[in-house]
Amino acid sequence: MIEFDRVSKRYGGGQDALANINFTLGKGEMAFLTGHSGAGKSTLLKLILAMEPLSGGRLTVAGLDMSRLPRRRIPPHRRRIGTVFQDHQLLFDRSVAANVALPLRVSGFPPQDIQRRVRAALDKVGLLGKEKLSPAQLSGGEQQRVGIARAVVGRPGIILADEPTGNLDPALSSEIMAVFRQFREIGVCLLIATHDTRLIQGGGCRVLTLDRGRLVSDQPAAT
Amino acid sequence: MIRTRGERPATKRQGAPATWWLQHKQDAADSLRRLLAAPLSSLMTVFVIAIAMLLPSLVLLINSNLGNLLEEFRSSARLTLYLEEATTEAEATATSEYLLTLDSIDSVDFISQTQALEDFSAAAGLRDVLTSFSDNPLPASLVVTPAEVSADDVQALAAELEARPEVALVQVDQQWIQRLEALAGLLRVVARTLGIIVVLGVAFIVGNTIRLSVENRRDEIRVIKLVGGSDGFIARPFLYTGLYYGICGGVLALLMLLLIGLALAAPLRALTGPGASALTGLSPAGALLPVLAGAAVGWAAALIASRRCIGTIDP
Repeated sequence: MIEFDRVSKRYGGGQDALANINFTLGKGEMAFLTGHSGAGKSTLLKLILAMEPLSGGRLTVAGLDMSRLPRRRIPPHRRRIGTVFQDHQLLFDRSVAANVALPLRVSGFPPQDIQRRVRAALDKVGLLGKEKLSPAQLSGGEQQRVGIARAVVGRPGIILADEPTGNLDPALSSEIMAVFRQFREIGVCLLIATHDTRLIQGGGCRVLTLDRGRLVSDQPAAT
Repeated sequence: MIRTRGERPATKRQGAPATWWLQHKQDAADSLRRLLAAPLSSLMTVFVIAIAMLLPSLVLLINSNLGNLLEEFRSSARLTLYLEEATTEAEATATSEYLLTLDSIDSVDFISQTQALEDFSAAAGLRDVLTSFSDNPLPASLVVTPAEVSADDVQALAAELEARPEVALVQVDQQWIQRLEALAGLLRVVARTLGIIVVLGVAFIVGNTIRLSVENRRDEIRVIKLVGGSDGFIARPFLYTGLYYGICGGVLALLMLLLIGLALAAPLRALTGPGASALTGLSPAGALLPVLAGAAVGWAAALIASRRCIGTIDP
């Protein structure tokens, strides 16, 4: 599903944000992406989302060559990916349900489908009953869960998560990871950027470690 | 996108007409809600658009009334046929009777040489001078009133009558009507020029309002782009906003035009006299013009402005 082949990314004249990245993530595979701040985790996710152009190498996501992706094909590409953002990226002038429904609306789902899927996604993250609230009325952890519900509501083939459990307590983190595992079981490819060592140790997943833009370690999933 | 039984990929769903229609309804309602949420600024924008659209509409109204007036004047145009000196009164009467048989002629009055002299001297106050002539210098004439015909028909009739052997000269009392027609033509050009200026002005007003609106919603647009919203999807509510501004501006311009028409009706009636036709409003098609033009310009300006601004926002 995701294939990095000697991928590099350099920002305007500065140091390489990513250099010679090589790894492949298949269907139904879940991996943690870890490393210190500034190691290049967010840049790597941005390349997958076509938020930044590649400086070199070849990146293939769901069969699409990112270096040759025309601008008009970027929105449909992003619709195939569910993304959990570290800063949630919620719309505070809309209800929780409207936030979660956003990927379905942009994909043109009929309203009945949207309602049903939004309820199911909110149920998965334990927020059923809070559909009509504004995200501003929720705690940081609840807002994070709204972001997770929004990422999974469209049943994407790929889920990217940037510090998805950053604001959650350990119990809730485990529940969210359980949700992610359910998606892995139905063939979804998941890449989770995190600092949370407890999450990584308890995850039983492949771990990719970045250091100053280089992939320094690729530990396979513990069996 | 993971497919489950009976589902199609999300990217294919956008073609479903019912869903497309529902989304448009939702966007249209959302845009209206946003406009109503800021009534003062919305009203100010609509008012500025209406004032801009009022000007060419007013010129159109004046032109339309001038056209009506011209039609009345055209139908009252008269031709004076000055007869050859050798024409006898009997020949003139025969010509008069012949002319009355033509469909294009309503009435014919014969004015003999003597009658012409009397009329002229009475009007000019030159009786003493005219009586000093040994012969009457004025020719006999036939004053012809055409039936309700156009200016072109009157000209054609004049040419036809001038070809008759007993007619020396035909004078068409139409010069001032032609000047009025030229004035109407000038007004049409003014209306067109103003129309172009107003289209640009309204496009600028709507475009700038939409640009500010897009800037205010920059964060929201970033999020929508992140979840896969296309520029077209994001632009849709802004297009409705432009459409609403244009329609409301056009309707307000029309209302102001009606009020101006009502205010001008009485003074104009006093000016033109009771016999003249009253000031008439624009035809239904003419009345729709500012509204439709406003809608089209508002939508187009919103399309250009929103596409340009949205394209520059990167998630």
